[in-house]
Amino acid sequence: MAERYELKQKEVWDGNMAASHALRQAQVDVVAAYPITPSTPIVQNYAQFLADGYVDGEFVMVESEHSAMSACVGAAAAGGRVATATSSQGYALMVEVLYQASGMRLPIVMTVVNRALASPLNIHGDHGDLYLGRDAGWIHLIANNPQEAYDMTLCAFKIAEDERVRLPVTTNQDGFLVSHTAQVVEPLQDEVAYKFIGDYKPMNPMLDTKNPVTYGAQTEEEWHFEFKASQHKALMESPVVIDEVFEAFEKLTGRKYNRVETYKLDDAEIALVIMGSAYETAMVAVDKAREEGIKVGLLMPRTFRPFPYNEIAEKLKNVKAIAALDRNAPMGAMGALYNEVSGALAANGQSAIMTNYIYGLGGRDITAEHILEVIKETEKNAKAGKRVTDLQGFINLRGPKLSFN
Amino acid sequence: MATPKEMMTTWDKIQPGAVLPSFEDPEKKIRSKFNSYNYKVADWRVEKPVFNRDLCIDCDFCWVSCPDSCFIVEEVVNKRGKKQAKIVGINYNLCKGCAVCVDVCPTPIKSLLMFPEFVDNDEALKQWPTKDNK
Amino acid sequence: MLQIRWHSRAGQGAVTGAKALADVMARTGKYVQAYSVYGAEKRGAPMTAYDKIDDKPILDHSKWMTPDYVLVIDPSLVFQEEIVDNTTDDTIFIVTSHMDKDDLLSIAKHLQGKKVYVIDAIKISQEEIGRAIPNTPMLGAFIKVSGIIPFEDFLTSIEDILSKFPRKIIDGNLRAIKRAYEEVK
Repeated sequence: MAERYELKQKEVWDGNMAASHALRQAQVDVVAAYPITPSTPIVQNYAQFLADGYVDGEFVMVESEHSAMSACVGAAAAGGRVATATSSQGYALMVEVLYQASGMRLPIVMTVVNRALASPLNIHGDHGDLYLGRDAGWIHLIANNPQEAYDMTLCAFKIAEDERVRLPVTTNQDGFLVSHTAQVVEPLQDEVAYKFIGDYKPMNPMLDTKNPVTYGAQTEEEWHFEFKASQHKALMESPVVIDEVFEAFEKLTGRKYNRVETYKLDDAEIALVIMGSAYETAMVAVDKAREEGIKVGLLMPRTFRPFPYNEIAEKLKNVKAIAALDRNAPMGAMGALYNEVSGALAANGQSAIMTNYIYGLGGRDITAEHILEVIKETEKNAKAGKRVTDLQGFINLRGPKLSFN
Repeated sequence: MATPKEMMTTWDKIQPGAVLPSFEDPEKKIRSKFNSYNYKVADWRVEKPVFNRDLCIDCDFCWVSCPDSCFIVEEVVNKRGKKQAKIVGINYNLCKGCAVCVDVCPTPIKSLLMFPEFVDNDEALKQWPTKDNK
Repeated sequence: MLQIRWHSRAGQGAVTGAKALADVMARTGKYVQAYSVYGAEKRGAPMTAYDKIDDKPILDHSKWMTPDYVLVIDPSLVFQEEIVDNTTDDTIFIVTSHMDKDDLLSIAKHLQGKKVYVIDAIKISQEEIGRAIPNTPMLGAFIKVSGIIPFEDFLTSIEDILSKFPRKIIDGNLRAIKRAYEEVK
């Protein structure tokens, strides 16, 4: 039996430490991982917990991220609670197996620390890896600070393992900006956290040798479409469970999470859609803008997948202009948030003026002042009643102004 | 199409995650419709292995080596009262005629030999080599 | 919001120092952020670490700040002009050096006219801890100069934070902190 870890009511943890404590409290059966910056400390701390007797499960050091996720798939199919952590290039190497995990409906939890994708090589935070995995059939939860990294990881197990969902979940936190930034975290005690998640309930475990099953069957055209459609349905209907879990978590901790987070949006005329740690920085900018009389609000999808398109359209129905800020190199299109939000509005007959901004690639700093400039540009569109600014702009980019229309 | 019509489930009834059970009823060993044992995959075979029960020593090499699990096995109790697997025949719905079983058969006179598909099994057993003529 | 910037070389313990300070302050009910700016460097490369301390939750995740305090724990970095970047006339510098303040300012001209305190954190850590890890002595100096919390409270908290280390290391660090508290000027 694992030893109990003494936790203070308030700890000063960085996002990595918060995530590794959540994994420890979930009493994961198998963690298979190949450490990569900036998520290395998650794996390192977890291994330390195991060595110190705080974890009962197995820890498997593998030879690559592809193997890490493969081992996770095997262990989850065998019938255990499974988790891992990765970032960037490691995430990219895992992608093939991410689709396998979701296709086999294995409730694996992966604590992702978001980092830019090479080339050029960069260890700092952007959403390149998150966007890479967005169609992989996983639920993607977003955490903006170490407290949320802890909370989302606990919720992730409960969401993934619900029999109505049975899908893998990633929790995402910005590399260094959250993962290596120590802040005050109020953890749950071990027994409370474990009780919240609950015992693992295996479904069709391969280790049930009396009732053998085949995982990874070949289906071809007669079946594949039906399987994928039923998998998509599980993802599309997961919000019911996500809402239940967030509600149960609020009852337990008083901390309220929503699939769509908003800040001062109720009376807002313009809105910014932004995801990750910069959402909190943007709160500071919104407060400054409101002091100057600009009615601006913020919106963030807490679940990047399943994308809460109808809820977002509902929340944005009264704004005149919206800027969607993407922390990813869009490479030949508008950023994903721009596309998703525009689609959500169009589907509901709404026609707020949309613009896109790219920011923070490879960890480039974004300050409240930068966001304030975006707010002021967006206000111009709202006032003019049509788009007068560029369609796609770049924040805090050195050199002559770059934009696309 | 290769999949039998009665297996063509709709999306709302499909097994989540394509996790397919081997048995409809594991206790009674009733195989599920997904089990490939129910498939006929041997129509194109031109040579078949014939099994000679009289020579077999139940070493089970053929059972282990067969890539298509063709060997039909019965559980029997041997002279010393222990459970043992007894090879009783070949499932010709599955056998593709690769002849690996013949290769691994260790008896002095092979208990498994390849014959042309059109030769009747009883006829084949009559043609079996003897000690002087192996 | 109180903002502190550490200048260090990778391996001298600025990250640990910044996190320890954040931990100490969090125990007094404050909200904190402690982070550092990493590169791909090896040990010995110049780097910076940061503390933000406030009465309300800290939302701003940008790395940029105008520090109230600049703590330089490597003697050679004192001479790099980057240490005055984004500072104001009120910014207080606490720097590690074996020189006294006048000799130091005559060479480090970028610090002239600034509020500068000097502590030989390297010598203190070598003598008291046995290794040149100048982070904890710098904390002692910072507590003296800032008066941010009572020194006794600080010692109680830092002893608890260091409790995972062997007793010998804890005692050495506590001696180093106390000496730095006395010797900073």
